[in-house]
This record gives sequence, C-alpha cells and structure tokens, in this order.
Amino acid sequence: MKRTATWLAPIAGLAVSLGCWAGCGDTTGGARVAFDVAAAGPSDATGGALTFMSPQGYRVTLDRARLYIGALYLNQTVPTSGAQETGCIRPGIYVAQATGSLWVDALSPQQQPFATRGEGIASEAKAGELWLTAGDIQRIDDNTVIVDAAGTAQRGGQSYPFEAQLSIGRNRLIPSMDPAYPGTNPICKQRIVSLIPTDLIPQEGGTLLLRIDPRRWFDTVDFSQVPKVQDSPALYRFSNRNDNPADLSLFNNGIRSRSGPYSFSWQGT
Amino acid sequence: MLLHAMQTSCITKQGAAAWPIRWTLALLLALGVHSTVARAADKPAPVLSPPQPVEHVPATYPAAAREARKSARVIVLATVAANGEVTAVEVSESAGEPFDSAALSAARRWRFSPARSDGKPIESQVQIPFLFHAPVELAETAPSPSPVLAPPPPVVPANEAPVERATVTEDRATRARPDAASTPSRDNASAEPTRAVAETAASKTSFASTITSKRLPPASRGAADFHVEIGALSAVPRKNASEALKLVPGILLTNDGSEAHADQVFLRGFDAREGQDIEFSVGGVPINESGNLHGNGYSDTHFIVPELIAALRVIEGPFDPRQGNYAVAGSADYELGLSQRGILGKFSAGNFGTLRALLLWGPKGAREGTFAAVELYETAGFGQNRDGRRATVMAQYEGRSAAHLYRITAQAYIASFHSAGVLREDDYRSARLGFFDTYDTRQGADTGRYSLSGLLESRVGSLLVRNQAYAIARPMRLRENFTGFLLDTQEPTQSLHGQRGDLIDLQSMAGTFGARGSAHLSGDIFHQTQEIEVGYFARGDLVTNSQHRVEAATGNPYAVETDLESRLGDIGLYVDFNLRPYRYIALRGGVRADLFTYDVLDKCAVQSVAHPSRENPPGDASCLSQQDFGKYREPIQRSTTTGSAVMPRASLILGPLWGISAAVSYGQGVRSIDPYYITQDAKTPFASAQSIDAGLSFARRLGPIDLSLRSAFFQTRVDRDLIFSQTAGRNLLSNGTTRIGSASAVRVIGGFFDLAANLTYVRATFDDTGLLIPYVPDWVFRFDGSLFGELPWDKLRIRGKAFRGTLAAGFTYVSPRPLPQGERSNPIAVTDLNATLGIWLFDLGIVATNLFDVQYRLGEYNYASDFGSQPFPTLVPMRHFSAGAPRQVLFSLSVQIGGGR
Repeated sequence: MKRTATWLAPIAGLAVSLGCWAGCGDTTGGARVAFDVAAAGPSDATGGALTFMSPQGYRVTLDRARLYIGALYLNQTVPTSGAQETGCIRPGIYVAQATGSLWVDALSPQQQPFATRGEGIASEAKAGELWLTAGDIQRIDDNTVIVDAAGTAQRGGQSYPFEAQLSIGRNRLIPSMDPAYPGTNPICKQRIVSLIPTDLIPQEGGTLLLRIDPRRWFDTVDFSQVPKVQDSPALYRFSNRNDNPADLSLFNNGIRSRSGPYSFSWQGT
Repeated sequence: MLLHAMQTSCITKQGAAAWPIRWTLALLLALGVHSTVARAADKPAPVLSPPQPVEHVPATYPAAAREARKSARVIVLATVAANGEVTAVEVSESAGEPFDSAALSAARRWRFSPARSDGKPIESQVQIPFLFHAPVELAETAPSPSPVLAPPPPVVPANEAPVERATVTEDRATRARPDAASTPSRDNASAEPTRAVAETAASKTSFASTITSKRLPPASRGAADFHVEIGALSAVPRKNASEALKLVPGILLTNDGSEAHADQVFLRGFDAREGQDIEFSVGGVPINESGNLHGNGYSDTHFIVPELIAALRVIEGPFDPRQGNYAVAGSADYELGLSQRGILGKFSAGNFGTLRALLLWGPKGAREGTFAAVELYETAGFGQNRDGRRATVMAQYEGRSAAHLYRITAQAYIASFHSAGVLREDDYRSARLGFFDTYDTRQGADTGRYSLSGLLESRVGSLLVRNQAYAIARPMRLRENFTGFLLDTQEPTQSLHGQRGDLIDLQSMAGTFGARGSAHLSGDIFHQTQEIEVGYFARGDLVTNSQHRVEAATGNPYAVETDLESRLGDIGLYVDFNLRPYRYIALRGGVRADLFTYDVLDKCAVQSVAHPSRENPPGDASCLSQQDFGKYREPIQRSTTTGSAVMPRASLILGPLWGISAAVSYGQGVRSIDPYYITQDAKTPFASAQSIDAGLSFARRLGPIDLSLRSAFFQTRVDRDLIFSQTAGRNLLSNGTTRIGSASAVRVIGGFFDLAANLTYVRATFDDTGLLIPYVPDWVFRFDGSLFGELPWDKLRIRGKAFRGTLAAGFTYVSPRPLPQGERSNPIAVTDLNATLGIWLFDLGIVATNLFDVQYRLGEYNYASDFGSQPFPTLVPMRHFSAGAPRQVLFSLSVQIGGGR
C-alpha cells in the first residue's frame, strides 16, 4: 500500500462517507437483462419456396423447411478449432438463454418469437448453441421430429423430389469405438449445435435474432444417394439414420453445422 | 498510587481546557459521529467505598476443641453482594477443623452496608478474622471476632499493583466496561480480579475489604477496538453467540445453511464468510478451523450458550500483536461468565414447534467464571426442511489462590439440522415454489464440537505469566446444493450419464491442540506505567476432509471431488509494548511473526487419465490410479511447504482528555492459505491485509448516565482475497481488494436503560477493475435497547414484592447489497423484541423475532443453477435467495433458585 494512500485514508473515508449517503451508484459490473428472442429464415427469403444452387450442383427448390429448437444459449467461450467438446453443458459463462421452444419456418424472413423471453447478462457472447430437442437432452429414446423439410432437387435432368423428417434419438447414437471411452458420444452432442460463432452483447429490451438459412443444410448433400421410397410420383426420403451418406451429410454437415446455416444478431436497443 | 490516580482524575476534570473539547466535539459532529461501546478507561476514576459491617455475629468456640484449650485464628474471605448480604465464604487462613467451620458459620450471618462505586452498590470481598481464645475453665464461647490484635494481611497479593486498578471497578450487569484504551495505567494481562485495598475499621472489629472487579481486557488498540459488556443488552433476543457481534459496528450475519452451520459474517466490508477473515476465539481458545474444506478458518459459534457470554472483544482490524491467523478483517473473542449465582431453569416454547430448555448453574460463593450450562433445543423449522435439534453442555471452573488464577473449561456440542438452501427468484415469482420451500430435502448439517482447555495465570513480582492449553475435536458434515443439476460433466472415460445432481456432501474431522501464553512486565518510568508483553501461540491441526457429489435419484455418492488429509502447524511469537511517555499519550503495538507449516496428502490427486486402458477402463471412478495404458500411479500426492509472516502493528492514542480520546492504528494481518491450494515447495501464498484506522472516542459518566461515542474511518487492503463460489461450493481465490469507510457507535447506560446503536458505511472494491465486491453491504445499522427495573405501580405488588420487568428490542437495517451483474439486493429491516415479567423466583417472557413478520431475503446471490424447474436447463446467472425467518414467538418460564439476581 502506498504511504500516501495509507495516511490519506481517514480523509478519503470522510469524503466517501459524506458523499455516498445514498450510495454512489457503484456497480459490480455487467447487468442482468431480459429480451425478446426470435428466429427467422434468411432475409432474402420470400415466405414461399426457396430456390438455390447447392455446391454439389443441384438446383434445389425448398417447399418446406422447419426446424424445432428447444432452447438456445449464448456462451462466452471462444470457439477453438479442433477443440474437443466435453459434456452437454460447456464450461465458461453462459450469457443468454431462451428456453421456450419454437418451430421455426426457415423459409419465412419474418421474425418468429419464442414463447418465452430470453434472459441473460450484458456480457459479450462468443458462441451460440442450439438445442434441437423437445425434452431431456440426454434421453436416447426420442422420436420427436426436429427437422421437417421437403422440396425438389435437380441435376443433369434428373429430378429428386425429397422430404426429410429427422429425429435425434437412438437413431443418431454413435456407439463408442473404444471401450476405454464409453462416454465419448453422449446423445446430447448430437442434439446440440454448438459453438456457433457469435459476437454480440445482450441488452435489456432488445431482440436476439437467430437467422436460419436452410440452403446451407444441403451444402454437401448428394441427392442421388437419398433412398427412393416411392416411384409414382417419385419421392426420395432421407433415411433418418446414420447409415446413409446423404442423411449423414444433411444431419452432420447441414443441420448440425456450426457455421453457415445459423447466425445470431442483436436488434433493437 | 490510588491517590495519584484520583488526583489525575481530578486534574482531568478541572484542568480540561474548554477549547480542545469544543473542537473535538465539533469534529465528532462533523464526522457524523455515532458511537462506541464504552470502555470506561476514558471515564474518571470511580469513587470507591468499602463495605461496612452492620451486623456482627461472633463465632462460637467449638466444643470439640475445648479440651485442647487452643487459641486459633481463622481468616474468612467473604463475598458481599450488592445488597449487603454475604453470598459466599471461604477460608483464607485456616486453623483447621473445627475452627474453620465455626468461623464460616458465623461469617455467613454477617450483614454489611455494601461497597460502592460512585455511590452505586457493587459486589465486594472482605476478610474477616476470627480469633479463638483458649477458654478459661468451661467458658462457652470466646467473643469473636474480638478486637483484632494485629491487622490481618490484605487479600491482595503483595506483588499485585493494587492501587491504580481501583479506578476500574465495575458492575458488569449494569455498566459498560471501562475503556482500557485510555486508562492511564492498567495491567494488560492482569490476573483477575483486580482489587483495591481499602482498610477500614468497623466497630469492634477491623477487617480488610477488597472490591472485586472483572478481568480487564488488554489495552485498547484505538477506535477499532470494541470491548462490549453485554450487560442489560443480554435481554435483546439473540438466537446464538454470533448475534452478539451485532453490538459492534459493521456486522451483518447471514446464513444459507442452518442453525448447525456457521453464520456468514460481514465485517467492515469483508465478506468473512464463515470466519475465514475473522479470528474467532472463546476465552482465548481458537474457534477458527484451519484446513476446513468448506472454508479455511470456518468458525461455527453455535456451541456457545448465548446466556454465558459476559463480554465480547472485537477488534475491527489487525491492530493487536496478539491477533494471529485469520485476523484479516479483525478478531472476536468471547468472554464467558455467569453473573447470577444459583440455578436458573428456563423453558421456552413457541411456534414452528420450537422448544428450548436451558439449565444454568452458578455455584454459590464461586466466582463468576465458574458455571455450568446445559441447553437442549429442537425446532420443526419455519418452512420446508428446516427442522433440527442441538444439545450443548458448557462447564467452567475458575479458582484463585494467592498469586494464581486457574480456569478449566470443558464443552460439548452436537447438532443436527436440515436446511432449505437457496431458491431461484424466478421459481418463487412464478409460484413454482413457496418462499420458505426447498429444492433438495437432503441438505443439512450434522456437527459437533468437544473441547477442553486450561488456563493458569501466575504473578511473580511485577511479572504476570499466563499459559493456556487446549484440545478440540470437531466433526462436521455439510450437505448443500446450490446449483441443482449443472455441474456433472460427462467425461469420455465415464459411462454415459445425464446430470446426476450437485448435492455436496462434505465431511470434515478436525483435531486441534495448542497452547498460548505470555509474560507481561510492567513498571513505572517517567511517572507513568510502562508495559511490555512477550507471548507465543502454538497450534497444530490434524484435519481430514472429503467432498462428494451425491446422485439425486439414489442418494449415493457418485464422485469424489476432494479427499485431503492435512497436518497444519502455526507457531507465532509476538512482542507488545504499551508505552506512555506522557499522561495523555500512549503508544501501543509491536510485531508478530508466525510460521505456518503444511503437510497435505491429497488422496484424490489424479482425476483424469490421458490414455486409459481399454481392458481396464476407469469407468466412473473419481480418484484414479491408472494412466498411460495401465502404468500404475497412486492417486495420492503429498505436498509440504511452509510460509512465514511478519506483521507490525501499532496504535497511537491521545487522551483521554475530558473523556475524549483520539487514536490512529496501523496493522498487518494474514490468513493462511487453504490446504486445497498447497503445492510442493511452492511459496505459500498468504492473504495479507494492511489496515489503517483513525477515530475519536468519548466516554464519560454524565450525571446518572454513562455515555460513550466512537467514530472511526478505516481503509483495508487485501492482496489476495477469497470470494465464495456457489458453483464450487467453497471459497476461491481472487485478486486484491480495498475497503474504505467509517464505523460509529454509541451506547448510553442509565439506571433503568441500556441503549446501543451503531452505523457502518463501507465501499469495497476490486483493485484491478474498481468494481464493487459483491455481497458486501454498504450500510449497516443496528440498534439494541433494553429497559429494566421494578415496576413502579404499588397495586401490582404481591406481599410487598414488586414485579420486575424487562423490555428489550433489537433492530437491524442493511442497505441493498451489490450483487454480481450490477444488481442490488433487497434491503433488510428486521425488529426483534423481548419482554419479561418476574417476581420472586419466577420470570415469564415472550420473545418475538422479526416482530413485524417482514418477508425478507437474508441472503441474495446471482449465479447459474438448474434445479429442473423449467423444461430446459437454466444456465445464465439468476437471482437466488435464502429466506429470512418469519415472525417467531417464544414463550418462556424461568425459575431462579438460590443465589441473587
């Protein structure tokens, strides 16, 4: 302690005492905030069918693209490439959450509010999480449809009318390949789209907006590998299992992609 | 020297110039002076008068001795109560049986006009010599006490400086203690009782009388040193010993555990948690538990029966070299005693199924420090999961011989309580849970404490030697759940699991043994008493701690988080000077040095395996013994290290001049490191505090009242603070912090009232960010008041006996406290009331705590938790609170048998 500070203590104490009778408005820093939470499709969507060219060379027309979001969270954790994910709940401080479930029409550019308001703290968020579940994040036997999409993909004169109704349960469970690590792949890791890069600070009264671009779900999908389930009219349906390359592409590289389909932004105050 | 002291007093009174008084008073007012607890060292010396015999009863020459025709002399030491009755007798100089018995029998029937201090009757002791002359022929009796041929020796040991101590005689029951801080000459470690010899001559006899006073505290360390005589304020409702702390400024108590869980103490801007930053002791025996996993320095004072607290010394800062480990925010020492002799039985019953039975025994004729107490308590609790029960036994014997004072204290305490823990504010707001509900009914505490201590004080010439030894056993089990289902991480080596629950099951067993002592030398230089004391403190702790997480579904532990065995040592030496170069100037202080040793065996040091064996995976084991494909490695690890600290402390005290003293104090204190953080040979990081305190005090008897005021400003900086983490369930290290503020107190004592109030403001911030330290209250106000005496209405008398009554109240206000995330808690304003009415042996009482049934949050916290009250985990920080108790009413009936009030 500096000597001057030591001997000035009584004087400073007097000043503080006299000046702060009603409190000095000091703070511990930060603030707890409540805000609206909404999700929407891409801003260039029209609300109707969405047509686009996928990187795989398919001209895709999406007639339906819905995603069930159980909850979303924002965390201070900075995404690190190659970092091994651990449990369902990440270390670090969660700065925002919205626990009201929502079916999001990803073809609509309109904001679709969550059932409950979001809450959090006014602190910088670096990563977002989407919890794609209708209930217990660890429940294995759960057939709730999380993704409901339909449309037509065309390439080289071949048309692939398709639909996808994906669930995340035992069908997505990845058994441990190493008996030494029985807990490597908990089902929650299949259900959580995690570490979506984000950079925002929640504020009181604003709106946390999640934009979902369903076009990016199909970036790596080769529709020719989608099982054909009906001839007339033709219909290709994603298998909803991990045993099909197209399904894996849609699920792992599309729906669960941390970058591309999803983006968070802050609107309002 | 008595004359000198009294002359000094007179000079003080007459020679006090008006201008410094006015200036000082003006400064007091300018500073917003509020108070202090009186230490009447600032007061003028009281005028003492010895007891006078009004009824002599001669002893009968024992028939059994007639044949021997023997002459004998027996000196009886008689205790004369304030009402003039002889309440105790003992043989001071024996002539053997049957002469002793004859003398004692006669002495019991003497009556006196009591000794007086400033005209007020007080207890005293007298020597009554009985001379038994050999009977002539068949003489039946010898007139005794016949005129004494030679004056009997005074009871005061020849080596005790008697005179100046006569200035501090006090009646503990009704007065604040003199302020030793400004007593011109006093004995730091005086073997009590301090006495004044006042030779007097009664008609037809002569005897020596000694006016007893209570044991003096060490010399005051300035405005931050509070020695509180509980006195009539003992009538203010207090559930436990901790609540007596509220008599000093800046104290806030909260408890998110139960009545078997230590109170969380805030002092001058320190969140001292359960004692980590305050050195707690009772009669010099440490209470802080070194190495306790829940908090290093954890101090649970529930084992102290509140009725046995005679006085309390709180130093709000590290300003006395006697203060040791944990004296970062300060220290608190409870002095036990029972002023009433005889047997007091008290039974209380009230709402929420609360029952309390108390039995106090103060053997007649024994010293105030001799007592026994038994307490049984049971409650169903004011809400869910708040039931509990406890039993306490405390016994102490205090004796004295010519130059020795000795004391033996034994204590046992067991308690078992459930606790409700905390609630999320959003769950309460949405009516998912009631205000007094709980999430987890497995929370609670089972604790005990057993201790034995002995004290010996001996005087050799002007040297006073004091030694004390103690042994303490302390089992404890805590079960707390602050976070619900949040912390159970899925490790790759574990079987798949969900959140199994965050209930912490902490067990601790501590054995503490130690000793402390001092040698105190005083002498006159420059016509002033100069003192020096050299002392030691030695303590060893053997502590085992473990902490498990418990599965909510099964109640089984599923993870060992910590498993430590600690052997801790602390040896400290100090030297303390009390130098008075001039009558109105005192320089007190010295230096203390402590060496801490740590030997910690971590039995769960290995909790992860980089490359587990496929053939023998660790599964869910917490403390692992294999890694690197089966390469064996014991999961244990021992770490030893040491640390030392040298702490200078000094106080400069000016005065008292017309009752006014000014003081500036500086000191350093340390808190030893939690064994959890020990690493082999690493330099032991201390939490080190530097404090400065400057203040004014005024203490004086003004007509019929004693008035004392005190106000101080302080600054304290801690280089390495501990902040509690609800997530970890324990204290975690943080950065440096600074507190700055003021503390003030006032106490007014009259013939039928005792009023005290204190107010504290503090601003506590982190050094690196300047942000406020969460949970520390800015403002704390406390009022204690008691009205007592006989009811004046004649119609209410029964057979001439008047009813006695007491009306006492306590009021606490705590301003909104800063919480994490920039929030503020709700304020707290709680009033407690106690009323008693008694006659003869009986007293009826009613105690109402939280009189106005204010629904308040005792503790409020912002952190993340998930108690499964919503469909998805709640992961962001949220407001939590522990509910304050609603109005609780206890009716009591007490019976006092024997002894005097």
